Amino acid sequence: MSTLAAEFKSAYGAGSGDGLAAVFTPIATQNKPYRLQSFYDFTNAASLQKDLSFALFHGKSLKVPRAEQTAWVDIFAAYWEAVGEVLKCEQGRRDASLVAVFIAWKKVANALIRGYSSSSGIPAWTLPCLYTVGKYLRTFAIKADIEAAAQGTSGFGFQDDVAADIEKNANLEEAARIINRMFTLCLSDRAPIEESRKWGIYNTTNLIFKTYFKINSVGLTKNLLRAIKAQSADLPPLEAFPKSHIVTFEYYVGVIHFLDENYAEAEQHLATAWNMCYRGASRNKELILTYLIPCHLVTTHTLPSDQLLASFPRLEKLFRPLSNCIRKGDLVGFDKAMSAGEEEFVKRRIYLPLERGRDIALRNLFRKVFIAGGVEEPKEGQPPVRRTRIPVVEFAAALRIGTHATNRTRVDIDEVECLISNLIYKGLMKGYIARERGMVVLSKNNTAFPGTGV
Amino acid sequence: MSFSVPPWRATASASNPTPAAYPPSATPAYIPVQARRSLAHNKPTLPATNGADMTPADAAPPRVQFPPAVRSYVQRCFAPENQMASVSTAEMQEKLRFVITDAAENHKLDIIDWERLALPQVMVQNERNKILANPNVSNWGISTPSSPADPSRKRKSTDIHQEGTGSPPWRKANNNTRNRFEDRITHPSTEKRPRMTTDDSSKSKANLEMRKKRFEGAGASYGNSASASPVPSPARSPPADQGPVIGRCQTLEKNYFRLTSAPNPDTVRPLSVLQKTLDLLKKKWKKEGNYGYICDQFKSLRQDLTVQHIRNEFTVIVYEIHARIALEKGDLGEYNQCQTQLRVLYKQQLGGHPTEFKAYRILYFIYTRNWTAMNDALADVTADDRQDLAVKHALDVRSALALGNYHRFFQLYLDTPNMGAYLMDMFVDRERLTALAAICRAYKPDVNIRFITEELGFESDEQTARFVIENSSAELLEEKTGSVRLLTGKAGPLFEQAKAAAHAVVDIKGQI
Repeated sequence: MSTLAAEFKSAYGAGSGDGLAAVFTPIATQNKPYRLQSFYDFTNAASLQKDLSFALFHGKSLKVPRAEQTAWVDIFAAYWEAVGEVLKCEQGRRDASLVAVFIAWKKVANALIRGYSSSSGIPAWTLPCLYTVGKYLRTFAIKADIEAAAQGTSGFGFQDDVAADIEKNANLEEAARIINRMFTLCLSDRAPIEESRKWGIYNTTNLIFKTYFKINSVGLTKNLLRAIKAQSADLPPLEAFPKSHIVTFEYYVGVIHFLDENYAEAEQHLATAWNMCYRGASRNKELILTYLIPCHLVTTHTLPSDQLLASFPRLEKLFRPLSNCIRKGDLVGFDKAMSAGEEEFVKRRIYLPLERGRDIALRNLFRKVFIAGGVEEPKEGQPPVRRTRIPVVEFAAALRIGTHATNRTRVDIDEVECLISNLIYKGLMKGYIARERGMVVLSKNNTAFPGTGV
Repeated sequence: MSFSVPPWRATASASNPTPAAYPPSATPAYIPVQARRSLAHNKPTLPATNGADMTPADAAPPRVQFPPAVRSYVQRCFAPENQMASVSTAEMQEKLRFVITDAAENHKLDIIDWERLALPQVMVQNERNKILANPNVSNWGISTPSSPADPSRKRKSTDIHQEGTGSPPWRKANNNTRNRFEDRITHPSTEKRPRMTTDDSSKSKANLEMRKKRFEGAGASYGNSASASPVPSPARSPPADQGPVIGRCQTLEKNYFRLTSAPNPDTVRPLSVLQKTLDLLKKKWKKEGNYGYICDQFKSLRQDLTVQHIRNEFTVIVYEIHARIALEKGDLGEYNQCQTQLRVLYKQQLGGHPTEFKAYRILYFIYTRNWTAMNDALADVTADDRQDLAVKHALDVRSALALGNYHRFFQLYLDTPNMGAYLMDMFVDRERLTALAAICRAYKPDVNIRFITEELGFESDEQTARFVIENSSAELLEEKTGSVRLLTGKAGPLFEQAKAAAHAVVDIKGQI
């Protein structure tokens, strides 16, 4: 205990929120491997409150208002019990239970929330404690769910239908509700902004986002965004917040738009996150790029450079084969790369936008047909012009490249026309189809394939 | 008067061991007083010998001085000439205790006109008369025996009280107030709260009973079981999560009724009956095709399965059949419910036709354009599923639409396995508009309507023409050299508009 109390005193005295948060980290650190054990051993349930208030606030070193003292003692008391459960698990005791750890940790979270919301008034600079407690609440809930699933519980209630998918995330959902209260706690604080809990809003939001993604209820994130938007007039500008909060927040908002197929907006947020991201945080950069690259492909039809991919081996494996095929206009290769990576793509929810890359591959292929068509006989005194009237069968022949003759002996001309019409419709090709003559008439003056120079 | 104890009454008496002993009273405020008296810690404070030789006159304890008017009131209560044959001494004492406690607590000892106040025995008699005249006034009045008719039962419990205390009632009441006062000083909060809660809970319990009674009446009218009236059965309302109900209803058909409390086994059909029900419903559906009836019956069927925790192949079949019927009638709300359940059931490997429904699920999300859910659905598809014709078809449909390959899409549309066509019908017109918007942009100056008919899966040129006219205008069709042609240049913007309108968010919450 002496260590933890000393940590608390020095952090509080120095006004260090992060130092305070470290006290509430329920794991042993490398240089203090017995910090939890000694904290737990220092007292017992009977004299818990007394010992705590003595250890934390006795003496003249720390000036803390009485009501706040009580709140801290309550928090530490809950923390002490939770640590007891954690230690049980670490020691592998028979009565150890991850669900019990979660339940005990819930009490810590509730005590902390109470400490902030009631008149006891824990000051806002200690918010990192809230972040840490919330973070572990989520971790413990996930572990508790795994344990509960392994033991197999089933509750029915008065449902009309048999199945309840919710059960398997019961603890995490509970955690989400509590973290939601933390969010409200921050959002609704009306203290002057210098000492307001509003500074905690993005961090808590990120924590809920993370939780909602995990329990597959991404839809619920919209409510949070709406709540933040409604309060936006009273919030400091985004740039004023710690970058670490903002990067994560922008990343999640980007992914939320991404899942709704709002690629333009998604790209905006993801790009912000990308630009602000700490350059050493390669894992985070990788996560951002996982979504930013498909976004970019859809919105601007451009592919990641080799240089960019080279510094992210995992992404290179994911995107390199695909982008090579798109660049070459290799449809068969593209389809193969898609089905090879399908499982991973679907898991990361990037299959749908990547699939659209086929349009770009097709465009590149047809562009080759156009270029291979050569130039018309130059008229006198005029520079040579590309042939702009191309028979549909030439495009059909291009589509047959790489396919086995037995597999697809005849490419359906109607289908070829359909593909062309789509490219025209999407603005990837300029011109029109003259169906009766079996011709595609492309536009002149190097505008047939916009943005590609021909 | 025969009195059967209704279930709500039975539960009430379970929590309170001696309800019949108390005189009938219409005032709920009476209950807390009883509760107080039974608190054990009050009794030892009163030495038994003390009360035995005390007379009412000098009984007032030194701490609380009762005014003389009260004392004479009490004396009158015990005077032999005021005793009534129909009201026993015990009842009278109870009432008296209540009156005085109430007055003391509310500081009305000096306000009440004790000279004129009716004696407790008279009060008891009056209350009894009131209840007899109008039995509906109080639930208590009906079920409690009128005291003279049943002296033995009542006597027993009151005798116990007498033995335990042996003191006159006001003395006890007095003790109570004093104790309470002392308690208040030491434990202000704990003293007050239990009183409030007992009072509250008894009141809300009474409300709950009333509500339950109302629902039982409703239940009798909707259920077709033997229980036409609320017959007391202690097993009828097991706590919510005490395992499955075991039904004993033998009727095949049952209307759906949303549960608001634990199900009654009398109205729940066991598995063997449900299997017959399913056969009956299948026949009826084939013969009559009355969707409203069928849907209702299937919902109650599903409910009975749920409350009995039946999860087996039969469950899967029920959901599958209901889903197919809902599909056929385009009731997507109901279909979606079944589909959600089926997804979980298939995960438990109970049989059924998982691939068929995985395919529907994909088509369904195409229709609702729920891409987040589509991602989930795709993640559910395994490599084995891919070999299945229906799943492959659904995946191809999805991919064709994603790439705007209407040519392929309409080929697939004309060749849909199982009942997928019902789902595809939901969005085929929407995709026709999308395709027309593209065609109008790409083909110049016009296209033969025959081409559109073939390309977009219409049945005839007439149908195509009608579709074009409905979604844009007749001026866009022109007859030229023996064929009808669509003027693509002008039509483009119109189809673009129609497409945007058709792709506005789909709302499937409405159910038939």
